[in-house]
Amino acid sequence: MMLARAAGDFYWMGRYFERAEHTARLLDYHLAHLVDTPADVLARGWQLLYAALAQPPPISPTETGDAEAFLVPDAFALAAHLIEDTENPDAIIQSWTKARDNAKQLRPWLPVRVWTCLNDGFLWLRDCDFTEYWAQGPNRLPAGVVDRLRHLSGVVEARMSRDNAWRFLELGRFVERLQLQTALLRAWSNPSNKNSQVWAGLLEVCAAYEAYCRTCSMVIQPRQALAFLIANPEVSRSLSFATRSVQVLLSDIDPAGGRYPRRAPHRRALRLAGAIETNLHASAEIADTQEFLGDFAEECRTLHDLIIAEYIDYPLEQGLPS
Amino acid sequence: MFHDDRTLRTVAERLGTALNNATPEQLMQLQDGVRRQFLHEGITFTVIGKEEVTEQIIPIDCVPRVLTASEWDHIDQGLRQRLRAINLFLKDIYHEGWSLRDGIVPYELVLGCPQYRMEMLGTKVPHDIYVSVCGTDIVRTRDGFAVLEDNLRVPSGVSYMLACRAAIKQAMPRLYRAHNVREVLPYPGQLYSQLASLVTWTQSPRIAVLTPGRYNSAYYEHAFLAGEMGAELVEGRDLVVHDGLVYMRTVTGLKKVDVIYRRVDDDFLDPVTFRNDSLLGVPGLFHAYRVGNVVIANAPGTGVADDKALYAYVPDLIRYFLSEEPILSNVETYLCRTTEGLTYTLENLDKLVVKEVGGSGGYGMLVGPHASAKEKKDFAERLRTDPSNFISQPTLALSRAPCFIDGKVVPRHVDVRPFVLQGRKETWIAPGGLCRVALRQGSLVVNSSQGGGCKDLWVINEEERNS
Repeated sequence: MMLARAAGDFYWMGRYFERAEHTARLLDYHLAHLVDTPADVLARGWQLLYAALAQPPPISPTETGDAEAFLVPDAFALAAHLIEDTENPDAIIQSWTKARDNAKQLRPWLPVRVWTCLNDGFLWLRDCDFTEYWAQGPNRLPAGVVDRLRHLSGVVEARMSRDNAWRFLELGRFVERLQLQTALLRAWSNPSNKNSQVWAGLLEVCAAYEAYCRTCSMVIQPRQALAFLIANPEVSRSLSFATRSVQVLLSDIDPAGGRYPRRAPHRRALRLAGAIETNLHASAEIADTQEFLGDFAEECRTLHDLIIAEYIDYPLEQGLPS
Repeated sequence: MFHDDRTLRTVAERLGTALNNATPEQLMQLQDGVRRQFLHEGITFTVIGKEEVTEQIIPIDCVPRVLTASEWDHIDQGLRQRLRAINLFLKDIYHEGWSLRDGIVPYELVLGCPQYRMEMLGTKVPHDIYVSVCGTDIVRTRDGFAVLEDNLRVPSGVSYMLACRAAIKQAMPRLYRAHNVREVLPYPGQLYSQLASLVTWTQSPRIAVLTPGRYNSAYYEHAFLAGEMGAELVEGRDLVVHDGLVYMRTVTGLKKVDVIYRRVDDDFLDPVTFRNDSLLGVPGLFHAYRVGNVVIANAPGTGVADDKALYAYVPDLIRYFLSEEPILSNVETYLCRTTEGLTYTLENLDKLVVKEVGGSGGYGMLVGPHASAKEKKDFAERLRTDPSNFISQPTLALSRAPCFIDGKVVPRHVDVRPFVLQGRKETWIAPGGLCRVALRQGSLVVNSSQGGGCKDLWVINEEERNS
């Protein structure tokens, strides 16, 4: 038995952690390549990065139409904005704080080790000196965040029972991953984005570079890379993998909901899987894929709403014992 | 820990010697370790300021306080007796009212108390147990142990007692083992059993801890207790009353709840019956309670017995209901509602501690010997305006215990809050308690909100001490 509010808290905690890790991975990659990347590619990278995070940048090149604007502020300020700026609701520290706030309400359900790992990570991030880390290497801090989140994932894997608490946590992670990855692919799938180094970066960020080289080619083809990150079920950050995970988790949470007549979230997850299949066979141009990703993002948002309405914030009459 | 002549008591010899032999650096390390443990585990309380909500760890002192088993057994017997009398008194005032008719307690004191609930009149309380969880503050004076106040509404602090014990066990395992200390850790299991024993309609009741939410200062404790008991931690919005039954909202529909261990004040329990602006409560909860479909612990309306003015009558209640002499005495108390009490208080303001009858947390009180002339003048004005809202007590020579503060072991005033659990057939008292310390030099106020801290309390069987 799982309290609906607690399920909601687990779900959101999963989402916040995925969000923090996603931002940290993007930053880790981007900051690690500050040294040997031409300035214009770097500026383009910041643009893509902010577009992928669907966050308004602290400077607004989109408003001015001035791509060069990203060359003016230094990387330090932008990284600080994404990591530790308490005014930025999507900064990593904010995601971690919100996840910890949720975890505080979940103490009765959380194994002690999971809580202490999460709490220690939070205290580390809150108290760390960003400038000092930067001096050691610009990507040291986001890389540290990624490491700590992976450590936390490991503790969760090892300590949590595979009950509904764990399932909702994972469900949150994968729904968030679907939305973030869709936004990321959408940002990259701009037809003007033809620089193979930038595409290699995308594969790297998605932990799929080696797999791509092994499976497809050492030469990065934008269309092929995009298809790879959408439809390859073996890549953990592909849309296909995340969709399949959501389907499995929903079936485990509510086995009856997966049988005919299927409940709304199950139907929507099935639709997402179908859409990926269709797109795979359509061998679309990048511009078409961008349109597909726009529709897909909308479907993901609906999936989230349906999960909340079905399991967390349902009308009372729906829950009364028959 | 020490006799009057500053020699170590036998029970504290081993601990005292160990502390004497430790260097300040070692003690500092010990203290840091205990504090880090609290921080690591997130054992915090919430402080709501004007602009922001901050989270603080409760200051913890690494030097345990020690009591002998015989001293504790005396407290234990006294607390059992006190709780029996209080439960009988509460049943009486909400039913026949004999103690009022016989003039043991003045009518106006009970009926005029803001915590008195008319709604409870005639309500059948499961097994007549109004108070299932009680935290009574006890001080030691030159005359022995005395009760300072009873906390009967939502007594808090038990999680700090358990956390202190866990941290001290980790920090000084050998010393702890050598002392054969009585164990307090079964508290959550006992709490579960005692609450479950109040239910008659099922063998496996579903228990929920009702919390106001994470912004409540004691939220950590609510979550901790729910987790340790294996109960659900619910907020008002998680519960719903339908057809006189209480349900909680789960991912697989609504499930019936049998016991609510509420950590929400009466006023906010049910907006239909009590305060209609409450967002923390559950509409219809009191109706479900009245018809006997759910147990609420502690019962609504118990606060009338922890009013500071009524406290003065508890020894008389023990004599009246149990025909016994009180085992634990009260601190001498002057009721400002009486002319004599008010006159005496006003004339001796510089020697007395004056408290609001419904106050808690160390707020709304005046410690005469430490107050400025202006504070005393202002308080005298308040006393004259609303005398029935105050009581006064002599400033006690509270016992002191050694504490490690700023690199030195120094004496500080302490009290102890033992926790008593009352089930259908059994009373269980944790052999220990939340030992609160006034960390500021000379201060008598031990509340955490007023600069107080806590330390572990060891109840040691002298004769059974490990060699």
